[in-house]
Amino acid sequence: MTVSLPQFLQAHRDEMLAEWLAEWSSSSAVGLAATSSTAQTRHVMQTLFDEILSQLMVAPQDPPPGLDEHAPLCKHLRHLAAEQARHPEVATDPMRMMFSLRHLLLRHVSTWIREAGTTPVAEHLVQVNRYFDQIALFVFNNIINLRDRHISEQSLSLMELSTPVLRLWHRILLLPLVGIIDTGRARQVTDHLLEAIARHEARVTVIDLTGVPIIDTSVAQHIMKTIDAARLLGSRVVLTGISPEGAQTLTKLGIRFGDVICRATLRAGIAEALLIIGKRITAMEDQAR
Amino acid sequence: MPGDPSLHAPPHPGHCSLAIPITGERDVMHAARKARQMAEHLGFSRAQAYHVATATSELTSNMAVHAGGGTLHLRPLIDTDGTVTGLELKAEDQGPGIADLELAMTDGYSTARRLGCGLPGASRLMDEFSIRSTPGQGTRIKAIKWRHSRPADRS
Repeated sequence: MTVSLPQFLQAHRDEMLAEWLAEWSSSSAVGLAATSSTAQTRHVMQTLFDEILSQLMVAPQDPPPGLDEHAPLCKHLRHLAAEQARHPEVATDPMRMMFSLRHLLLRHVSTWIREAGTTPVAEHLVQVNRYFDQIALFVFNNIINLRDRHISEQSLSLMELSTPVLRLWHRILLLPLVGIIDTGRARQVTDHLLEAIARHEARVTVIDLTGVPIIDTSVAQHIMKTIDAARLLGSRVVLTGISPEGAQTLTKLGIRFGDVICRATLRAGIAEALLIIGKRITAMEDQAR
Repeated sequence: MPGDPSLHAPPHPGHCSLAIPITGERDVMHAARKARQMAEHLGFSRAQAYHVATATSELTSNMAVHAGGGTLHLRPLIDTDGTVTGLELKAEDQGPGIADLELAMTDGYSTARRLGCGLPGASRLMDEFSIRSTPGQGTRIKAIKWRHSRPADRS
């Protein structure tokens, strides 16, 4: 007698699951595969397997174009993507895992078709394929989203690392600017600087632009705003490190830094800052003799 | 098919044109860096390369701020005998356009509370500068930096 596909799948459930788990854990020694022996990953795979199987048993003739975001299956797939994020070197693992399951299911469905001798042969295979296409798309999207979030988090922390306000001397601060000064970064630099000026009661701040590749009108405007804010807190600003090309370009652009003290090099800027607070650096011999 | 790679490769990496899509602030510095690299490859002086890079960042940040994006084209200008004569910048966008070009080219005028010296400044940094804008359709700016500026062109 012939059995229906759901009956067939139900009957072979344990066998297929064991086959999938064994195939997966022997397939690779890194990433998700390495952790698949742990009880947790086994549990996730088992739940996924049962979800997918039950979906296939009740699958309508015309499935909806996408997966239901709130279905338990999607929850587990998301978990899988999150698990993968901890092994960035094998980004394809969740996809490989799903593809290996598809392969396995297709094989079993084919066996059933052969045994049952049903006529609409292709239909069932197409259905399995289509279902797995949706799963693959969903997992892929999830991995990309996780990576995007990871990248933006990283760039935020890079920004924090690259805007140090250094205490050069009693009441002298140094702000070395390196790299691109865009709106977000400028705001952060200003925040950090103002906070440091208030905390250290700084009288002079040296802003060094040696590491800024290009000073255009928007960078200049950001720097001017920072200088204005520093002044309101009672700190004078010494601007250093504008290259000869930069100086020439700024004048052509028509940008004037008004009455800001500028020095060509950081060394000259530090000397100027010390002068403002009434200190200077001298050679030791002068006092020894 | 293996063959002499020099037959197919451009004469020099800095000698091929570039089209850089500008969608936001983050693309501005990328475009400026590319412009500077190209200018240096083409044998411009450091100061000239800085001028080109700054003009590029002015034009592209205008596109990012006012037009919601656009495209920047960088093209080396090469004579028939193969010598590099200059570098051309073309900034094209489909933004709202500029209503009053004369006003936009005036120092200190800005609709976005910026310094207002971007456009006039960029035109001073380049040797040739032309701007066409149709309100509602977009703006096209073409600017050229000659490798050996003629004295008459310099301001």
